[in-house]
Amino acid sequence: MGSIEFEGRPVSFEQGDTIASALYRVGVRTFSRSLKYHRRRGLYCGTGDCPNCLMTVDERPAVHTCTAPCVEGMRIERPGGFPNAERDLLHVTDSLHRVMPVGFYYKTFVRPRFAWPIAERVIRRATGLGALPPTTAATRQVVRHEHVGTLVVGAGIAGLDAARDAGAWGSVLVCDEGRICHAIAPGTTADRLAELATEVRSLENVAVLEGFTALGIYEGLHVPLAGDGELVHVHPSRVIVATGAVEEHGVFPGNDLPGVMLGRGAAGLAGIHGVRPGERAAVVVRTDEGIDHLRALTGAGVEIVAVAVSTALAARLPSDGVGEIVVDGDVLEARGGSSLRSVTLRRDGRGKRFDCDLLVLSLGLSPRDGLARMALPGEPVTLVGDAAGETRHDGRCGHDGTVCLCEDVSMHDLEQAWDEGFRNAEILKRYTTTTMGPCQGAMCGRALACFAASHADGRSHPPEGPDPPRTTARPPTRPVTLESLAAGVHEIVDKRTSLHELHVAAGAQLDRSGGWLRPFSYGDWRGEYRAVRERVSVMDVGTLGKFSIAGPGADELVDRLFPCRTDDLEPGRTRYVLTLDEAGYVMDDGLLGRVGEGEWYLTSTSGGAGRTDARLRNLADRLELDAHVLDRTAQWGAINVAGPYARDLLERLTDDPIGAEAVPSRGFADVTVAGVPCRAVRTGFVGELAFELHHPRRRGPGLWRELVDAGREWDLRPHGLDALELLRLEKGHVYLGQDTMPDDTPVKLRMSWAVDMSKQWFLGKQALERMSTLPPSRRQVGLEFSGGPADTAALRGEPLIVRGTVVGRITSAERSIALDRAIGLGWVRTVDGGFPERLETGSGATARVVPTPFYDPEGGRMRG
Amino acid sequence: MAELRVEHPSVVMVLGSRDACDSFEVPDGTTPMRIAPRELMLVDAPGVAEVRVPTGSAPWVENVSDAWVALVLEGVDALAAFARLSELELPVEGWIQGEVVRAAAKVLVAGDRVTILVPAMLATHVEDRIRTDAAEVLGS
Repeated sequence: MGSIEFEGRPVSFEQGDTIASALYRVGVRTFSRSLKYHRRRGLYCGTGDCPNCLMTVDERPAVHTCTAPCVEGMRIERPGGFPNAERDLLHVTDSLHRVMPVGFYYKTFVRPRFAWPIAERVIRRATGLGALPPTTAATRQVVRHEHVGTLVVGAGIAGLDAARDAGAWGSVLVCDEGRICHAIAPGTTADRLAELATEVRSLENVAVLEGFTALGIYEGLHVPLAGDGELVHVHPSRVIVATGAVEEHGVFPGNDLPGVMLGRGAAGLAGIHGVRPGERAAVVVRTDEGIDHLRALTGAGVEIVAVAVSTALAARLPSDGVGEIVVDGDVLEARGGSSLRSVTLRRDGRGKRFDCDLLVLSLGLSPRDGLARMALPGEPVTLVGDAAGETRHDGRCGHDGTVCLCEDVSMHDLEQAWDEGFRNAEILKRYTTTTMGPCQGAMCGRALACFAASHADGRSHPPEGPDPPRTTARPPTRPVTLESLAAGVHEIVDKRTSLHELHVAAGAQLDRSGGWLRPFSYGDWRGEYRAVRERVSVMDVGTLGKFSIAGPGADELVDRLFPCRTDDLEPGRTRYVLTLDEAGYVMDDGLLGRVGEGEWYLTSTSGGAGRTDARLRNLADRLELDAHVLDRTAQWGAINVAGPYARDLLERLTDDPIGAEAVPSRGFADVTVAGVPCRAVRTGFVGELAFELHHPRRRGPGLWRELVDAGREWDLRPHGLDALELLRLEKGHVYLGQDTMPDDTPVKLRMSWAVDMSKQWFLGKQALERMSTLPPSRRQVGLEFSGGPADTAALRGEPLIVRGTVVGRITSAERSIALDRAIGLGWVRTVDGGFPERLETGSGATARVVPTPFYDPEGGRMRG
Repeated sequence: MAELRVEHPSVVMVLGSRDACDSFEVPDGTTPMRIAPRELMLVDAPGVAEVRVPTGSAPWVENVSDAWVALVLEGVDALAAFARLSELELPVEGWIQGEVVRAAAKVLVAGDRVTILVPAMLATHVEDRIRTDAAEVLGS
């Protein structure tokens, strides 16, 4: 019907073939190599549960080829193996099993230390499930959210039955990782499925998603479904898990040889795809389903040499064509080289060998209930069908053989780990990595739990009865691509001021700062700096937090929040304020202005606006104050007009008084500039005469253009954050976050002047009182450097050292243009009971502690 | 398909006591949203008179239209488009507030029209993300 490419050669496939069935038909028996010991692995479960058939399909690694349908032109490769999976020289590691025991990685290459990075590279190249495509870009995954009454995971008979019932009272979404009715052998089960599927699809409030895998159940409820190119986040009111059961994995020597298969895998090949899984087979039948598997094998012409059957099912075996019947027999051993050659069954307490190339195991069913076990107690998650089945252990427990097919862990490894002291299922899992591979314990989880339970009782076999509890189930239930994990995740949210387009047009270098996209420079930050110091400049400061606080309780709110006095502030005047938290730590800073009786205006840092808003509201609620907070950050833009000619510039654009009396230093006034209503706020951050014009956001671009046009007379040029960095540093102003630590108090920042401890109450006061009794341990300082690097900014982040001991760090450093000196800020700890005055930097420069401000210490320029 | 439009509705904030918010007279054609016990937000409320400073029991009423931008999804696939942007479960009619493409938003639903109100500084981000994440169901 079609053709796929398998490791460079064409392989034809029939309609309905999976990749595995097509490969099996042409004689491929080694489907992969095991992770650690490079043992051959053949087709095993046939249901997409075990790792044996994982291959790279069209550059996509770790695809379950036993369930993936063939598509014309697909390119298939087996991962691992050197030089290839068929002839793998790394198989030599299997004979070194004894010197590479469980926990091998933790015990070796510890010393010498240089050995591990080398060993790690070798190990990474020798193992794994394939490589990510080196050139193919990740494809975009569509993400969507679905809110439904009921999510049914699994569209088998139980799932469709549950969906039909749930559909009678609410919306239902049914998902299945495969396609409904696909790869089901003709018979009563297939007929019933088709009938139910038709009925469910006809229901108006039931939707069906095929090819979607439920990755996990998260608190909420929230179930992500990963499909081809799409991730659906389902938010259901309840979940019905109808994921069926997986066939039990047999543990005995040689259990991972190609030719050893679970019943559904073998019967599927024979009954669905018409591929004979072997010539001569031994079969173990311990389930009703096993009888059907046996019939499928004989129907396909497989010669049955022996059947080990449970006593209860012995009478139901076909009367002829099933070879020797071994009632209540066990598999003692499977032998072979590149594939199975013989099986030894226990009969009457003794072993009997049968030559065969196929061993089919129908040992029992283990509920595929991992998804449901992820739910928290009390969450509305229900198991139905085989997924709800209770497994009972019959006391059989293998003594050797591979327990975990994914991670290559044998029963011998578990015994050794137990002897080393890892004595419960959870820590056995962590130490040996059993259940941590692609199958997520579907094959080995039960065996691990039984092993731990039996050994805990000091027995070699677990007690008969219900299965012991499994290890904790966690998402994802199935292997998931990085594309799916990343789908819809966008960590960066860029805020933009109303002037953004103007900055772009002016060629500004934009970057992120405090959650905003901001101009760092317009091409010549030193020129921008000089414009501020010598002439006039404008800066977009619309990012600042801006708040109005009003109401009968507003006065009390601001007085209780800020550590400085507020009651003496006259209307139209501002005061620098720190915001402290309950622990007395500095959270933010800004300017507080009194507008009038019961009305205040507050600015905060750009990054601290959200916190300030929350803190104001929280305090108002806690104190039950009749005060309201209006966050104007989005509503108002702001432009800082700074420089010796700032007032001259504004006088060109306003008829309102803007002189030192109308808008004094530490004052503000509502004025109209270029026809735009503005709140002009005097500020001193850059150390020059400056007016922040707070204005309606939509009027911002027009105001900016008018200012720039009128400023041509003074060769105005806008400045960005790079220039601001030096401007504020010369004034010794700290950037909260950059120059501060999370536990900085006003004392540590040398800002005790911003705190009035005589106030009866303010947020953080009690903590400051307690801390005032402690000796000082650290403080923020001004620094001057000598002998440092040519680029002073490179000093930022360097440690400060006294007699070989790191006692501080440089948080800001630049070469002052105004002073022609290398200056900075940093913090230092006490040394011998005092703060050091001379320190060495990490790169060998000398740092001297000096007072700040560095520039215009009297503040005459700022006051204008 | 759904169409995406950017609109600038009139938005008024009413800040007052619970009683003042309860009894505030909402003009016809205006969508009131009680976003907090003491805060009422009115959308499409051009005629509401401002009261700049609350005194006594009178609420503080202020036009804050500059602070908000509306991104309007309209058409038969409007809800499908929204499902690609947020995990919020939309009411059949009415409004809800929460996160839309990681931006704090108020969402109004009326028939096949979904209005996403976001702070103005986030409007470009949200619009870009809508055009990318819901591309399959948006008209050109």
